[in-house]
Amino acid sequence: MAQVERFQYDNEIVRKFIIASVLFGIIGMLVGLLMALQFIWPELNFGIPYTTFGRIRPLHTNAVIFAFVGNGIFMGVYYSLPRLLKTPMWSKALSNIHFWGWQAIILAAAVTLPLGITSSHEYAELEWPIDIAIALVWIVFGINMFMTIIKRRETHLYVAIWFYIATWVTVTVLHVFHSIEVPVTLWKSYPVAAGVQDALIQWWYGHNAVAFFLTTPYLGLMYYFMPKAANRPVYSYKLSIIHFWALIFIYIWAGPHHLLYTSLPDWAQSLGTVFSIMLIAPSWGGMLNGLLTLRGAWDRVRQDPVLKFLVVAITAYGMATFEGPMLSIKSVNAISHYTDWTIGHVHVGALGWNGFLTFGIIYWLIPRMYRTQLYSTKLANAHFWIGTLGILFYAVPMYWAGWTQALMWKQFTPDGFLKYANFLETVTQLRWFYAARALGGLMFLSGVFVMAYNLIKTAKSGSFLGSEEAEAPAREVHASHKGEYWHKWIERKPVQMLVASLILILIGGMVQIFPMLLIDSNIPKIESVTPYTPLELEGRDIYIREGCVGCHSQMIRPFRSETERYGEYSKSGEFIYDRPFLWGSKRTGPDLHRQGGKYQDSWHYNHMLSPQAMSPASIMPAYPWLIDNVLNTAHTADKIKVLKMMGTPYPDGYEAIAVDDLQKQAAQIAQRLRKDGVVDDGLETREIVALIAYLQRLGADIKPKPQATTSDN
Amino acid sequence: MKNNCFKYMIAFAAMLFIAVPMWAQETTAVAAGDSGFFSRLFANTALIATAILTLAAVIAVSQLLNSVTKAQQIKIYREHGLESYLEEVKKEEGSAWQRFIQRWTKAVPVAKEQDVMLDHNYDGIRELDNSLPPWWTAMFYITIAFAAVYMTYYHFSGSGPSSIDEYEVQMAKGEEAKEKFLARQANKVDETNVVVMTDENDLALGKTIYDQNCLACHGAAGEGGIGPNMTDAYWIHGGDIKNLFVTIRDGVQGTNMIAWSTLLRPADIQRVGSYILTLQGTDPPNAKAPEGALYQPEAATEPAAEDTEN
Repeated sequence: MAQVERFQYDNEIVRKFIIASVLFGIIGMLVGLLMALQFIWPELNFGIPYTTFGRIRPLHTNAVIFAFVGNGIFMGVYYSLPRLLKTPMWSKALSNIHFWGWQAIILAAAVTLPLGITSSHEYAELEWPIDIAIALVWIVFGINMFMTIIKRRETHLYVAIWFYIATWVTVTVLHVFHSIEVPVTLWKSYPVAAGVQDALIQWWYGHNAVAFFLTTPYLGLMYYFMPKAANRPVYSYKLSIIHFWALIFIYIWAGPHHLLYTSLPDWAQSLGTVFSIMLIAPSWGGMLNGLLTLRGAWDRVRQDPVLKFLVVAITAYGMATFEGPMLSIKSVNAISHYTDWTIGHVHVGALGWNGFLTFGIIYWLIPRMYRTQLYSTKLANAHFWIGTLGILFYAVPMYWAGWTQALMWKQFTPDGFLKYANFLETVTQLRWFYAARALGGLMFLSGVFVMAYNLIKTAKSGSFLGSEEAEAPAREVHASHKGEYWHKWIERKPVQMLVASLILILIGGMVQIFPMLLIDSNIPKIESVTPYTPLELEGRDIYIREGCVGCHSQMIRPFRSETERYGEYSKSGEFIYDRPFLWGSKRTGPDLHRQGGKYQDSWHYNHMLSPQAMSPASIMPAYPWLIDNVLNTAHTADKIKVLKMMGTPYPDGYEAIAVDDLQKQAAQIAQRLRKDGVVDDGLETREIVALIAYLQRLGADIKPKPQATTSDN
Repeated sequence: MKNNCFKYMIAFAAMLFIAVPMWAQETTAVAAGDSGFFSRLFANTALIATAILTLAAVIAVSQLLNSVTKAQQIKIYREHGLESYLEEVKKEEGSAWQRFIQRWTKAVPVAKEQDVMLDHNYDGIRELDNSLPPWWTAMFYITIAFAAVYMTYYHFSGSGPSSIDEYEVQMAKGEEAKEKFLARQANKVDETNVVVMTDENDLALGKTIYDQNCLACHGAAGEGGIGPNMTDAYWIHGGDIKNLFVTIRDGVQGTNMIAWSTLLRPADIQRVGSYILTLQGTDPPNAKAPEGALYQPEAATEPAAEDTEN
């Protein structure tokens, strides 16, 4: 036996991440609650841009994913990794750079997103300078983690660490490749891929943000904290091996299931479907290993709030990972997509799996690090029940709302008309569901406050152990021996494991993305599709800034119910100049892809000024600032230059005359508005004119001319 | 051997059940009022029958194997005496349910877990060497088989419809259903036979349609706004019910007046048109100035205005 060595675990950094996770969890959920209430009272945006739904939706998603869950991941990794390797984290300095760097990024997000600075790619809304900061901090985390692994005293890596490694390498690949964009200014960039290609890359990223930020690191945490809290052995080592490798390989392929029945070619959609179906078993492997680890300890679940939280978390994980593949079946997706069903689905995952696992772990960690008992088990149990009920109150109305709305969208009368031709009818129908959802969210959030109180009380009653003494013998040089499980080999080789994970996760992405980028036949050209005019381009960037895509899709699926409602279904060739794509993933309002020419300019003007004046009972917020703001044309020429560089066929030297063109078109629109009675001297300089230009252009390139007024009844 | 055979047969039957609804990607057909289930009844019946037959075959085989096992046990009893016999029988203990669970989970009981405890110890965490649960493995295989069948059917066999094929079928079916329905309807309303309705219910419906669709531009009382005043005697496109019917149905190009034919059925256009005519001369506050020409009702239209509509 080698000599026993002494060292210390750093609990300070774990505590910092816990505090950050709880704090940002509360903030993220408060923003979510505000949004939920805006579905009932749209005026709750307080009449200002910074709190309007389109801008705070990314704030909510980023806060809960990257701030609440992100800090939750680091809390768990910084606690479990050193203990599983019997060594302290490699560098305290890097740990702290990681912590403060990550919080600075969150702060930057909290400032830029309400300001409307967004790339509009879901879960990657932050603009390019912040993207670079994320990459740097993530690499700091990686170096710290890998050096710790290399300096380990334990010969083999435990399954939790496999998940941490796969998480790190995959998030690096996803973040870097997805964020390839060309800056126009410090706070504006365009992605290199356009339209369908951009959509595929975005959902390759977006789907795997769920997979490798919300799932794999949390599975790693589960593999550490579940056996610890239950004091039971992990059910099956074999299952860990198979489900780990299968999960990371298959997950990466499933992105296109976010684009079923869109303009994405069918072959890519089908790959998304079948890989999602094949994902059920690998996902459930984690659930089984989690729940079966409790064999022989189920009696303790009744008494121990930590185990209660873990059990519900894993159950929610099992439900969400079964539901996900079901939603990836095209016939189910035809109903669920764009509705609140999706919102319900993701919240079962977020509130149940990520939320409850985080809470369970924190309840386990705090008393240990403060060398005391939990202040109140009763309060923890109260948190558990109000949280569980909160999830139910959230999810059930959302499912119901989703089905209701989908059926209303698709309902035809026998004489071939849409039964609910007025989109608004399908929205007002849902208001009670929205109210119930807000109540569910409020319950869940109250539970978090109860937890915060309980934790503070616990901390006060104990004394914090910032530096925990530990000892272990130095690592022995290990020679493989006969009869050893084959997988043991790679558990001794962190670098090989990193490379193997990297190769596995690259395959799926490459098979889907490269053909889309390289083979022209995937995106049939349409002659009549031309680049946006400078004014339309500026209007489009306002559309992006205001987050219109949060409620309005621009993708008419090839269904009778959609072509009857919106017009000709969307073709991939129509989007070749769309940087970024704006297909959206939720229809709180109607699809806008064939909006161009549907109404007069003045209709849009009045509608943006007061949506309720044009559609009584609409829940769209008003946008009076678009009418007051002067359009900034300082960067128009640069935007044209950047787009030209990426292949948008503007004529040579067009950037020099772009602003002139812009003003000409603005003057025409202003004139039409005045004709319809809009009184405003500076109309042609206002943002609203650019937005109207863009909305009138939408889908107009291949829109059939309106039929002559003669009848063909 | 017996286990595997049983497992794969069940798996196959299960796959058939899963596969049928998955292949049916035409959800809107159901919404359109034509029941997808009944149109596929034959295919479903055949499948259910196949599944039942398969199940029966599996049970028969399993019974046969059981009796072979029994015969084996008796043989052991004869040759090796009672103790060996009891040993052999003991293996089969437990209720049918317990044996079923055991077969599909292969879990080592908690009491015996020391037998499968691995020498792993990570910060006190131990690991067991339980087998992969057979039901889980079977599920994994089924999903992989499903993937292969799905990709083959839709992309290599040439027989699976593309998204656009499905769309075209949907449209054709919708059109057909609509034609069939309309063929049964008497009194198809169009501009050649439309008349003003006077029935109170029709006018009330007309007002509802007006409030939902027209009010935003023409005002709550027809006083006009973005669109023209509906209460004066001046009309841009003609002021009798026939002209009104055409204007509403086809819209007016270059204005906010869209063609409502995709949103309102002819009878509803007739209702809302009739309601609008009731607003004539009401002179609401804030009325918009007259637009278009003064409309003089022709004497001939008066008698026809008497409602004959049911």
